[in-house]
Amino acid sequence: MNETAAALALQGATRRLGGRAVVRGIDLAIHSGEVLGLLGVNGAGKTTTLRMMAGVLAPDRGSVRLHGADLREEPERGRARIGYLPETPPLHAELTAREYLAFCARLHGVARGVVATRVERAIERCDLGDVSRRPLGALSKGYRQRVGIAQAIVHEPEVVILDEPASGLDPVQALALRALVRNLGQSHAVVLSTHVLPDVAACCDRVAILHRGELRHVGAVGSADGALRVGVARPLAAAVWNDMPEVAAAEALDASHWRVRPAAGIAPEQIAAAIVSHGFGLTELVADTSPLESTFLAIAAGEAAEAV
Amino acid sequence: MNAALLLARHEWRRLAMQPFAWTLAAIVVALMAWQFLLSIQTYLDVAPKLGGLRDAPGATDLVALPLLRGFSNLLLLLVPLITMRAIAGERRAATLPLLLAAGIGDTRIVLGKFLGAWGYVLALTALVAMMPLSLAAGTTPDLGKLAAALCGLALFSAALTAIGVLASTLAAQPALAAAAAIAINALLAMVDAGARAQGVTNGGINYLALPTHLEPFFQGIVASVDIVYFLLIVAVALALAVRRLGMLRGAAA
Repeated sequence: MNETAAALALQGATRRLGGRAVVRGIDLAIHSGEVLGLLGVNGAGKTTTLRMMAGVLAPDRGSVRLHGADLREEPERGRARIGYLPETPPLHAELTAREYLAFCARLHGVARGVVATRVERAIERCDLGDVSRRPLGALSKGYRQRVGIAQAIVHEPEVVILDEPASGLDPVQALALRALVRNLGQSHAVVLSTHVLPDVAACCDRVAILHRGELRHVGAVGSADGALRVGVARPLAAAVWNDMPEVAAAEALDASHWRVRPAAGIAPEQIAAAIVSHGFGLTELVADTSPLESTFLAIAAGEAAEAV
Repeated sequence: MNAALLLARHEWRRLAMQPFAWTLAAIVVALMAWQFLLSIQTYLDVAPKLGGLRDAPGATDLVALPLLRGFSNLLLLLVPLITMRAIAGERRAATLPLLLAAGIGDTRIVLGKFLGAWGYVLALTALVAMMPLSLAAGTTPDLGKLAAALCGLALFSAALTAIGVLASTLAAQPALAAAAAIAINALLAMVDAGARAQGVTNGGINYLALPTHLEPFFQGIVASVDIVYFLLIVAVALALAVRRLGMLRGAAA
């Protein structure tokens, strides 16, 4: 991708904190309409990287560029164009969601006349209608997290940076969050930091893996060959898959799960239709993330370092 | 500047939502009202004896100014309680990144916090000022002297607020920030106590002390040297707070 066209780009970004280089020489670009997953074990430098992207921290060396302009030289540019959800949602407990979001909108430079519209839209997108007039201090963890996301998008920024947004959410809320992030990714550049690999597989177009302050891997989520992880209720023999023209190859992962590579030009929904028509008892069909898992675990264990 | 005012208004709104601010105001007004009533009673007791004196002190000197002087002493303890949460409270609640990421700059954040807290202190001062001003209903207070005293209190409270905001950037816990601000205030209030005991009233050490510059206002004297002193404290404290906030960016939760 063209670096100069990136909505946000880190170029050789290095940051020292407490006398230690927490991140070193990060080169990473994020484009509009893309969701980038940022993975790494605790202490890998994810939060520091996100803070630099959000303009909270300036890099000691290198730069953070918003549409090509250095954020350090023009910090005001980031005010309206970047939305940031820190690891702990920065909520003012004594205010209602509406009051708080109105303040956040004004803080990010939204004109007074359109604040109400923007607040209403953020409330709608984050499904906060039922609690919008309750004090934030009285909300559940899930709602507080959603208000945190709403404050990151209320000014409709071009870049949305989310640090562990699924932290503390129950499974239903986590699924709703995935849908929201996917939705945001259609019109914004979204950076999502998380420990949860299935969230990356479900939401992200690309993944970047940080380890010990260095960027060790950047690539597409899932297999390069578009392989799918398929769950079936019936025990199958490998030959059954070979008879299907929609399938190029299949290998058993366990008794009820297969790694299936579609034939050229075949979409996942066609594979699903074929499995259903053959009566295999389809129980699961997702993008195969085993390469992501193995890459992440290998890097985290320090066993391998894939070049960027 | 707009962002600083926006932040200041937001601080006022947050204060208005907190029982703490209302309780504190109620306690202060009750205390000052009690002192005001006692002063009036004392004045009424001695007023007949003052009638024969030449240039006898009036209600302004015997009721209004002692009340405002007492209020200034109360501010040394009161302002740190208001400013303690300015930055330290944001750090404790992990809400500081909201401001740091907003792209408004550290100077505007500090200015907004300062204006927010100072606005509350001024409102409190205005409430207390109603008491001596109410003397106008039954006597003729020296409005010029009262105006000078209130002007001095406004500058004095600005200095204390700036010191409080600075202390709030230095400590991670609001209680520690309040303690640090009270310690600095006490130091500045008593720094020349030893010199005064020795009869030195115009040395360099006297210049550093807060009362040296507040007392002339209570005597109706508005001197530029005193105004500059308070403005200097505000500027230095806020500049240090901005610098400290810049350092906190690395550690902000």
